[in-house]
Amino acid sequence: MTGVDPRLHVTLPGLTMKNPVMPASGCFAFGREYAELFDLSKLGAVAIKGTTGAARLGNPTPRVAETPSGMLNAIGLQNPGAQAVRDEELPFLEGYDVPVLANVSGSTPEEYVHVVKTLTTAPNVGAFELNISCPNVKEGGIQFGTDPEAAAALTTAVKAVSTKPVYVKLSPNVTDVTAIALAVEAAGADGLTLINTLVGMRIDASTGKPVLANEKGGLSGPAVKPVALRMIHDVRQVTGLPIIGMGGIQSAEDVIEFLFAGADAVAVGTANFSNPFVCPTIIRELPAWLDQLGLESIGAFREQGANI
Amino acid sequence: MKNEQMTVRENKTIAEKTYEMTLSGPLVEHLVNPGTFLHVAVPGDDLVLRRPISIAAVDQDAGTCTIVYKEEGEGTKRLSRCRAGDSVDVFGPLGKQGFPAEQPSPGDDVLIIGGGVGVPPLYYTARELAKRDVSVSVILGFQTATAVFYEQAFRELPDADVRVMTDDGSNGHAGTVIDALNERPSPPDWLFACGPRGMLRAIEAHAAHSKTNGYVSLEERMGCGIGACFACVCETGDHTSYRKICRDGPVFRFKEVVL
Repeated sequence: MTGVDPRLHVTLPGLTMKNPVMPASGCFAFGREYAELFDLSKLGAVAIKGTTGAARLGNPTPRVAETPSGMLNAIGLQNPGAQAVRDEELPFLEGYDVPVLANVSGSTPEEYVHVVKTLTTAPNVGAFELNISCPNVKEGGIQFGTDPEAAAALTTAVKAVSTKPVYVKLSPNVTDVTAIALAVEAAGADGLTLINTLVGMRIDASTGKPVLANEKGGLSGPAVKPVALRMIHDVRQVTGLPIIGMGGIQSAEDVIEFLFAGADAVAVGTANFSNPFVCPTIIRELPAWLDQLGLESIGAFREQGANI
Repeated sequence: MKNEQMTVRENKTIAEKTYEMTLSGPLVEHLVNPGTFLHVAVPGDDLVLRRPISIAAVDQDAGTCTIVYKEEGEGTKRLSRCRAGDSVDVFGPLGKQGFPAEQPSPGDDVLIIGGGVGVPPLYYTARELAKRDVSVSVILGFQTATAVFYEQAFRELPDADVRVMTDDGSNGHAGTVIDALNERPSPPDWLFACGPRGMLRAIEAHAAHSKTNGYVSLEERMGCGIGACFACVCETGDHTSYRKICRDGPVFRFKEVVL
């Protein structure tokens, strides 16, 4: 493919990426809509929407609310279910030269295992991202992400059935994120992604009622970037596992900050909503940042110890 | 779908806290379907979500389009401060399903019902109908006289029968659009409506008739505007699935979705 700068190449477990940029799970559905806007093959990878065992209709509306430099969402993991994703969504992405990071969600360890078993045979799924930190479903997700033992047990169960590397998506809604990181590393995680959204809420001052139908939601956007950078930095101090960093990235400069903090690649979430072309724009602007920093490649952040 | 910096030609108050903004740019050429909408970025980096705003008129000869919005929060307040010559970041047109203005025939009984800031896409629709010599009956509902806009614009359409309702009777007739709807002697062939969800629910309940092709335009808090984030969904009428308002709509047939 022309126009690919080899200096941007990043190789992570299961993911051979032309560049370190992927859309974050939940912000890109399964790629169909954005494929109408730009060539998905330009992306480093695509993180697909959180997939559960059976189809889910999600939460009532309103599902989003704006906050200062951010937004709250409580979509509630609406998705067509693992088999439909396997049969109808992943084949569409096979039309593009881009690996898939399949985000897996569930209410029970058995559900996670079922989803992974269903998707692991898809040829374009390069790796899994275990969503153990979705704050928006009452019965699922987050309890695995706040308890090191539960997180580790789930990782072990999934690793036993997956033929692809497994990344674990860490929650920021914990006191010590490094404890969870170390627990899932010991359980065999191949990589980490962080951060998921921070639990928050907004209240309509004229009615006294929560803005979101679900009352609480996940905070994302530039407002959470400092938290994400701090947590990635903290986790990088305790593990050599690959890290895909995310949280408020909206520019190439933001990506460079994440790489300095210890990320090997990044995911862009909320910024896709304000600028649907943000991912290709960032990818186009990254080489100039390497030039400015005097770095030979994205990998040099690790190899040359550029991570602070 | 295009994303471009459109130029503000005019931005003026047309009713209390209600603004009409005229924009120009190549994107206008793509505006051919009444009922679709634009996703407008608000000036300032701290507001991360675009605002879905309906299109009130398109003038292909002049290369302009008109949008109408109500100042309801910080984002729309900033839009209201835009002046002629300013640039606004616009993404659109969005929505796959608008009002089917190409379907009614001259002589059909076409009823348009707009409530508050839901009126603009119906004006665009009525103008498209007028181009095809289809005249319309119009019911416009507002809370009070200071909120009324586009009454005269509708009256200037050929053979348009326009009735304004206000909750307090300070302009036109006192009452709701449903009161006006109930006074009609027979069900219309076509009914196009946009306004508050409660109003649309009532219209569907009162006007669902086998003779009537009814369509409603919905609004919801949106994320991406293109169907990727699943923020603005609504249940299908049979409760088994969902539609995305931004992508599958924003206009839906009566009973297609749960209002």
